[in-house]
Amino acid sequence: MTAHVDLSLAAPLTKARRRRGQHGLRNAAIVLITVVWVLPVLWIMATAFKPPSEAAGLALWFAPTLANLFASFDVPYLLGSRLLNSVLVTAGTLAIAIPVSTAAAYAFSRFRFPGGSAAPLVLLATQFLPPVIIVIPLFVVFRNLGMLDTRLALVIANLSFVVPYATWMIKGFFDALPVDMEEAAQIDGASRLMALWSVVVPVAVPGIATAAIFSFVVSWNEFFYALVLTRDHAITLPVALMSARTEQGDAWEIMATMGLFIIAPMLVISRFVQRYFVAGLVSGAVR
Amino acid sequence: MAAVRLVSVEKRWGDVTGVARQSLEIADGEFMVFLGPSGCGKTTTMRMVAGLEQPSSGEIWIGDRDVTDALPKDRDVAMVFQNYGLYPHLTVGDNIAYPLRIRGHSRDERRAKVLEVARKVELEHLLERRPRDLSGGQRQRVALARAIVRRPQVFLMDEPLSNLDAKLRVSMRAEIRRLQAELRITTIYVTHDQIEAMTLADRIVVMQGGVIQQVGTPAQVYGQPANLFVAGFVGSPPMNLMPAVVQDGRLHVAGQAIGGMPPVGAQGIELVLGIRPEDLLLVPPDEADLHGQVYMFELTGDAVLVTVDIGSSRICVRGDRHVRHAIGDIVGLRLDPQHCHSFDARTQQRLASH
Repeated sequence: MTAHVDLSLAAPLTKARRRRGQHGLRNAAIVLITVVWVLPVLWIMATAFKPPSEAAGLALWFAPTLANLFASFDVPYLLGSRLLNSVLVTAGTLAIAIPVSTAAAYAFSRFRFPGGSAAPLVLLATQFLPPVIIVIPLFVVFRNLGMLDTRLALVIANLSFVVPYATWMIKGFFDALPVDMEEAAQIDGASRLMALWSVVVPVAVPGIATAAIFSFVVSWNEFFYALVLTRDHAITLPVALMSARTEQGDAWEIMATMGLFIIAPMLVISRFVQRYFVAGLVSGAVR
Repeated sequence: MAAVRLVSVEKRWGDVTGVARQSLEIADGEFMVFLGPSGCGKTTTMRMVAGLEQPSSGEIWIGDRDVTDALPKDRDVAMVFQNYGLYPHLTVGDNIAYPLRIRGHSRDERRAKVLEVARKVELEHLLERRPRDLSGGQRQRVALARAIVRRPQVFLMDEPLSNLDAKLRVSMRAEIRRLQAELRITTIYVTHDQIEAMTLADRIVVMQGGVIQQVGTPAQVYGQPANLFVAGFVGSPPMNLMPAVVQDGRLHVAGQAIGGMPPVGAQGIELVLGIRPEDLLLVPPDEADLHGQVYMFELTGDAVLVTVDIGSSRICVRGDRHVRHAIGDIVGLRLDPQHCHSFDARTQQRLASH
């Protein structure tokens, strides 16, 4: 009798202990991953406000200074103009990419035409080529057109990879929308374009917003094309980071300050548009 | 309001024929129901009238206007879709007002008309809600209200009740009929539900394989089916169709000679004899035209359905709800010659009533 009681108690105890152990391991993993992700960001934030002498150290206590900020905006780093370039190039890319991708996605999703099913695949396939291969002809073309080191050249280069991906993302969203709705709009008196604008686009906002966020992130962070196609006037923030590597050594505190400006929009975006992004990514997966 | 005329309209997708060179006239103010199984071409025909499909050949006229090449927006038609086709981002009021907004009506005019039709379909308390907050029946009424908010020349309804439960379907059916009778707008209604077709239609178009099988009033389609397809499709349970042949001046069904039935067709021609379950009588075997064995007995509540095996085929009989038979019972069937239908087994066309 006693043995029976002991056994019945021991089993739940062992189970509870095992569950607690699993919880502990999981929490440790979460903390580790969080630290790995967050620590560099915290390091950048801290270093941006450290005096140059302490920039390379890992000291947690320091006297914060805005000197790095002022220095970044000054010669030779010119953070102000680099920031403006990044803003204009990204805004220009989005301003063209989103309407173009939306229209293309709608056409791929709704119209039947010769090669219609292959065309979106071909569009995506262009992205399987390494950028280093694409940048060579782009460089030659822009040089011949006298467009090297211009923001427009960067916008065009960005469009070459933003439009295909954005088109695919939005097309997936359009595919999931019932055709009834826009047919109803056409019968109610709208032209196809008006049906697209007044019915399809508002309903597809989460998908279009997802594509816009994605396009923003890749344009804002784009480094390779900007490095090859710019020299002085059109340099964007990611390339400007390189200017902090001087003959006198690496100015970590300047890089960190510039890093802050690169990170800032991401933080703002993630705060405000997360719900769109999630809605956009999961839509169509579950009906 | 206007008449609708289809002149040799055809729709093809490569080798596939959706609608095969069909002509049809729908009178001004008429309620015409397109009835047929899935893939018979009824929805395609209606979509061609709407302008959502371009005919491969032929002409479509609405009133005195050839609209074959006109855009949907220029045809002055309104449509209710199977899945309602509501605009999820707009409120009920804005959904109903959409056709007016597109056509540039003023805000006050829109509000007045929306209120008027919302009252008609009992939606006035839901105008601020979004479609996702409504039940199926309410969504259906929004779709109806959007269709009638401007008085189009033609209403098009594509299986509008198929997503509703049985009870709601009955009440919405009555609602649609009442609205159409009140507005007298030419209506084309697509369904595969014959009860809907029978109860709603002024005339029914029965379609199969892209071809119109019969056009007629519900009574004509039910009472004088033009061919074997219509005979078998319309009616629930469907018409009994039995192979028959004329021999020695008498009609033989399943090897049994039927007396009192004037033979139709020449000697030896293969026929199909059709008779509806409610036109057969269960009688004692010695008074019967046909004999058989009870294969299945079902009580539906208001009647009984007795399936009788007569040898080469099984016949369904609708009988009085108090009748009882056990499976295996020998029963007799009496055929009312007035309600028997003969079809040519080869051409499948109706020969004549007895």
